[in-house]
Amino acid sequence: MTLLECRNIHKTYGHGVATVPAVRGVDMQLERGETLGLVGESGCGKTTLGRVIVGLNAPTSGKVVFDGEDVSGRLHEPEFRRRVQMVFQHPQSSLNPKFRVSTTLREPAILLTSMRNEELGQQIEQTLRLVGLGIEYQTRKPKQLSGGQLQRVAIARALMSSPDLIVLDEPTSSLDQSIRSRIIALLKDIQERRQVSYLFISHDLSTVRKIAHRVAVMYLGRIVEVSETEALFNDPQHPYTQALLSAVPSIDPDDRSERIILRGETPSPTALPVGCSFQDRCELVHARCRVEAPLLQETGPARHVECFAVQ
Amino acid sequence: MRLFEVEALTVGITGSPFPILREVSFYVEPGEVLALVGESGSGKTMTALAAMGLLPFGIEMTGGDVRLEGDSLVRTGGTVERSAAQMSMIFQHPTSALNPTMRVGHQVGRVIQINQRLGRTQSLEAAVELLKHVGIPGAKRVARNFPHQLSGGMCQRVMIAMAVACQPRLLIADEPTTALDVTVQAQIFDLIKSLVSEIGCGVLFITHDLGAVAEMADRVAVMYGGQVMEESPVRDLLAEPRHPYTRYLLESVVREVDHRVEDIGVDFALTGCRFGHRCPYVHEKCNGFPPLVEISPSRRVSCFLKTEELR
Amino acid sequence: MTGEGIADPGELPPARFVVDRVHVTEEKSRTRRALSFMRSNPLFSIGLGLLIAFVGMAIIGPFLVGDPLLTNPAGMFSPPSADHWFGTDEYGRDVFARSVNAARLDLSIGLAIALVAMTIGSTIGVVSGYFGGRTDEIIMRLTDILLAFPGFVLALIIVAALAESLLNVVMAVAAAYVPYFIRLTRAQALVEREKEYVDAARLAGNRPLRVAFRHVMPNSLGPALVSATLVTGWAVLTVAGLAFLSVGIQPPTAEWGVMVGEGAGDIITGEWWTSLFPGGMIVLAVMAFHFIGDDLTESRT
Repeated sequence: MTLLECRNIHKTYGHGVATVPAVRGVDMQLERGETLGLVGESGCGKTTLGRVIVGLNAPTSGKVVFDGEDVSGRLHEPEFRRRVQMVFQHPQSSLNPKFRVSTTLREPAILLTSMRNEELGQQIEQTLRLVGLGIEYQTRKPKQLSGGQLQRVAIARALMSSPDLIVLDEPTSSLDQSIRSRIIALLKDIQERRQVSYLFISHDLSTVRKIAHRVAVMYLGRIVEVSETEALFNDPQHPYTQALLSAVPSIDPDDRSERIILRGETPSPTALPVGCSFQDRCELVHARCRVEAPLLQETGPARHVECFAVQ
Repeated sequence: MRLFEVEALTVGITGSPFPILREVSFYVEPGEVLALVGESGSGKTMTALAAMGLLPFGIEMTGGDVRLEGDSLVRTGGTVERSAAQMSMIFQHPTSALNPTMRVGHQVGRVIQINQRLGRTQSLEAAVELLKHVGIPGAKRVARNFPHQLSGGMCQRVMIAMAVACQPRLLIADEPTTALDVTVQAQIFDLIKSLVSEIGCGVLFITHDLGAVAEMADRVAVMYGGQVMEESPVRDLLAEPRHPYTRYLLESVVREVDHRVEDIGVDFALTGCRFGHRCPYVHEKCNGFPPLVEISPSRRVSCFLKTEELR
Repeated sequence: MTGEGIADPGELPPARFVVDRVHVTEEKSRTRRALSFMRSNPLFSIGLGLLIAFVGMAIIGPFLVGDPLLTNPAGMFSPPSADHWFGTDEYGRDVFARSVNAARLDLSIGLAIALVAMTIGSTIGVVSGYFGGRTDEIIMRLTDILLAFPGFVLALIIVAALAESLLNVVMAVAAAYVPYFIRLTRAQALVEREKEYVDAARLAGNRPLRVAFRHVMPNSLGPALVSATLVTGWAVLTVAGLAFLSVGIQPPTAEWGVMVGEGAGDIITGEWWTSLFPGGMIVLAVMAFHFIGDDLTESRT
């Protein structure tokens, strides 16, 4: 059952002459209890898309439909707010430095749910345990916690209102490898217990592979390929996905498959070429790509690719 | 003769008896890439700074030797003296390592001007050639740009051009791609590799990413808590890690293991093995400092376990 | 749901390893530590010493010295002596008693002004910085207008327009410093509003005003709190200056500015002490706050 649907979302920053298109027409579905990985390089619009979905930014055009209801840009819609939460990239700055952990956790519950007093206290303790912190952490302030612990508190805060969807924006990028694995394991554990859906935004493909059921690849504001995780990693179809996957260094010394080194740089979103935005860096480019932009089309079971050469 | 050798390097805060780096030893052969790998706080960057003679104020070298082609670079009072033609360095944040008020062509030109005693115009021409050589399209135009007008990947190419401008014997690359996207990282790795084989210099490659190690390095030294834990050819290390810490590190990358060990140790054991309080094999002896012992002709491990126990 | 998540390492039993805990810092006696601190922060130490002296003077001083308003026609203009440390004025009042009593008044007024200005200024500053847009535009233009007048002149105009009372003096001088706090807090709020905890607060269901005052404001007060020290000193100077011009506090109140004003004419006839000592008090008090405020501002950056 579809929990979240994005319909042709555009998000443009700035106004007048100096506009920068960050998201350029994204269609996407997310099922209940599913983890969708959203990968792409810096500036591809993945964070903007995440912020539009949770309502922090309103889309320039298009619709965010959550559980059958249009919630585009409706940050303060109470039921939507309770059911969709977010975890941010920098645990050091995503918690109010003046608040104790208990205050941080209490806030969403008080403002979004009817929980009070004892029930609230229990919920806080239960949630802290769920994220693997003892109840003694309630009285700590952010300064007294490590990066991994801070991120656990941030996850706990997102869980306090029992949401159905959590948007995770690079939740592990600023953590060390060993702590990263623990946070991923924790997120999977929580998903199993609470049947919550995740939109997992990351530039780190190996982390996404560990947690996502499906993966969407973004390039210059559009989703160029979306597929089930293993299918995508084993058989990437879009030329950009292929290059992206091959660029990830592997620790297996026998995996020395040919690296695809992309030509040049990602073009500026303010000066995109006519046609396919990947044309100047693509090995498979032909005449049609220069005049017409491809659209996301089904190329196999549960798989959509935005490329003429594949379609 | 070894190109570059660090022997029992010990570094500490002035006036404190407890070292930040403890008897750090490794070497680099000509044309070889040695990776110095470790989590944040492991002392890998401090090691590079010490070797370059760039230790921050208040931190001093208290013992050990740094040798380039057999000549000790350590002068009286524990300072390291080296010339740009001997060693140069690439930093983690290319955009902040470049001078924001100077055109990049001039920055590269200055290095050439100083080290090759060329005139201003000549060195600027040489700089443009060099920029072309490190794969910057439209080098002549880019040379007139300021760093903020360039992408992170381009800035790193400029940094690399500056670093190789005087054909150094040793190149130190401190997390050169951490701030960059994977496809750009692949481009930069490709560039560094081709330059190294061209100049024939040795590389000290500092990173936290084991994938990058597998990709780039010939040999690897694993650091933790200011101590070299294991030194080995990359292939052997990845196939058969010997030190308990190396195994732990590799496992955290490969599988989502639920490590029952502490976060990055703030509470370093001060006299004993720095991995002691996280190590499953810890015993009485570990209160002393384990020296780096050869377990096979090409591998050294810093652990009290016997060679056969380390398997 | 009773089960637990993936445990944080913090929960694990203590490590088996023996960790030697050693005090890295040398044990120094308290006095030696204090001495070495004073050596490395001389101005701050002087300021703190002066401030402690003034606060002591303000609190217990009035109980120790005589009546500041007691006139003595027989002992007019007696120079400093063992009986009258700072001499006496034209009505034979003891200048020392008056100066000490004035400390209480001047310091409380200075402090009150800084607090009022900070409270109003920071509140407006947070609204301006956090909401931005049109609101910010209007507030900043109004601030610019106020800042175009020197603080002293502005205070002078306001006090002159209002009835003369202590409360009005405090309000007028505070109003002159409000724009300063608006600017400071706005700048910090602009930094804070970009941080992720602000977005997180919005997602936790906080309405805009609550985000601004409960989340952004406490985190934006740092610079304003530090500058409040500086402003206290300036406020003492401004109030004294107004009183000197016979605006605001009026004779025969024992107040430094009033005393300097009254005594200024005596200098030409040779009675320098009636204005020099209260004037010196103003200088020292302003210096105390300035040294402390300056040091705090520097250590923040």
